[in-house]
Amino acid sequence: MPVFSSAPAPHSGGAKEQPPSRGSTLPAGFASPAQDYYDAGIDLNRHLIRDATSTFIMRVSGDAMDGAGISDGDELIVDRSLTPKDGSVVVAVLNGELIIRRLLLTGQGIFLHADSPGSKDIRVPDPAELSVWGVATRCLHHV
Amino acid sequence: MAERHRIALVDVNSFYVSCERVFDPRLAGIPVVVLSNNDGCVVARSDEAKALGIKTGEPWFKLAEAAPKLGLVQRSSNYELYGDLSSRVMQLLSRFSSEQEIYSIDECFLHLHGTDDELRGRGTDIRAAVAKNIGLPVCVGIGPTKTLAKFANRIAKQNPHMGGVCNLDALDPAVVDTIMSRVPVTGLWGVGSRNGTRLNALGIHTVADLRDADPAVIRAKFSVVLQRTVLELNGTSCIPMDTESADKQQVLFSRSFATPVTTRESMRQVMSLYAQKAAIRLAREGQLAGVMTVFASTSRFSGTDASSPSATVRLQRPTADPLMLTRAAIDAMDPRMVEGARYAKAGIMLTGLSPAGAEPVFDLFDAGPEQKDIGPLLAKVTDKYGAASIGLGLAGMSTAKPDWTMARNFASPRYTTEWSDLPVVKAV
Repeated sequence: MPVFSSAPAPHSGGAKEQPPSRGSTLPAGFASPAQDYYDAGIDLNRHLIRDATSTFIMRVSGDAMDGAGISDGDELIVDRSLTPKDGSVVVAVLNGELIIRRLLLTGQGIFLHADSPGSKDIRVPDPAELSVWGVATRCLHHV
Repeated sequence: MAERHRIALVDVNSFYVSCERVFDPRLAGIPVVVLSNNDGCVVARSDEAKALGIKTGEPWFKLAEAAPKLGLVQRSSNYELYGDLSSRVMQLLSRFSSEQEIYSIDECFLHLHGTDDELRGRGTDIRAAVAKNIGLPVCVGIGPTKTLAKFANRIAKQNPHMGGVCNLDALDPAVVDTIMSRVPVTGLWGVGSRNGTRLNALGIHTVADLRDADPAVIRAKFSVVLQRTVLELNGTSCIPMDTESADKQQVLFSRSFATPVTTRESMRQVMSLYAQKAAIRLAREGQLAGVMTVFASTSRFSGTDASSPSATVRLQRPTADPLMLTRAAIDAMDPRMVEGARYAKAGIMLTGLSPAGAEPVFDLFDAGPEQKDIGPLLAKVTDKYGAASIGLGLAGMSTAKPDWTMARNFASPRYTTEWSDLPVVKAV
């Protein structure tokens, strides 16, 4: 299940990314690099994945979200357990396909907004027709 | 209202098909079948495929021609995907109960406490959580015993208006009695068709008939296993948790530990023990495994020290070799477990099973340490007694097609276990 294999699995259940308390006497704001881990090394699963059961990695195809720093070929971390809010970047199901857009909940209605000038917003006429697959939490952008 | 201790059976509806649908929304609402190894026959069907009259076990070549006209879509089995989604489901479900028994790739028993209303509410929460977190539909059956939980699950499945949850205690006893006197005895968990025929000969045709049978007579004429079924139908819980299970599609070993396992060394021993048990089971059934899932978890009260490592790996080749299975299990678990975490349970699941005849004769490119010692010995023996006199396990004697010729022509990507196969999301 860990998406970054060969690293220890993410800690689940706990809602926040909180390192276990080890009774350190270091002053606040000066974290010991060794304190957070049983093993040496930074475990991205632990820091980037809140809940391993509901988190999936997806690959972006297309340029419509360039303005949000999400480019063609980037990998996205998508958490299904989060409830989408106005402004969330979501993976939505549209005509049998998974698409990535910014969700806008406005007085004029619900929109799947593209963060690039070339693409048009998609209006969702009926809230019942909005199918959000998951909420993107991080983009692994190729630099 | 009285607080009760109850058992829930949670299972995923049409598991393999539902897994395919998570990443391919085009498959929603249409007839879909998943095919066995080598694309031979149907092993899983969506409700829409069932409605077309397609049966489990039906050879694909008989359906292939009509499929486009029926709107039927086929998929090769993708055990990496199913194994990964299975461990996500099990990990999520373990949060709802202090005691969980993983019974198969897509079902587990959970111990629950609460009033009838609370239990129903818990069932509804479970359903919502699995749908939201993983995108899979489940049904929940709740009853005083495992057998009755299974039965309740069946009622939930067959009555869509119940919303996928059935708490047997909350039903009118007269209604339960009516259902039991209509369902044939073979519809019960653990009653096969052979026992069914023998029971029918004794005038026991329905679930109600078996419930009212004399347990002592059942034990004398059949077995202690069937006697337990009778007792469980009457509300006496007597099928223990943590029994090993194997059906035609997977081999599963899962145990809770009396004392937590905290070190890599002891976890290796656990993995090794399970792998060897699994190898024995495979050998007995004449099967080879293609994909392995390993998992472990700390108790749900572990707080920030919680750890639930799991991994699904494709084995180098289909195998029942204890050495290979042991090595694979340890290699998969070792880097993912956290030294010092207190693991309360662990397990191994083998899927992608194929008949032992399909194994390659000998894998010359498989660099295992054991080969260094065994190789020269094999050579000595074959020099003296001939080429067919000795081999490594089943591999030495088999002459069937090697696995790399196995067809997986309709396979979906390994969405969750291969970096190159990630699901694509369109930014258009």
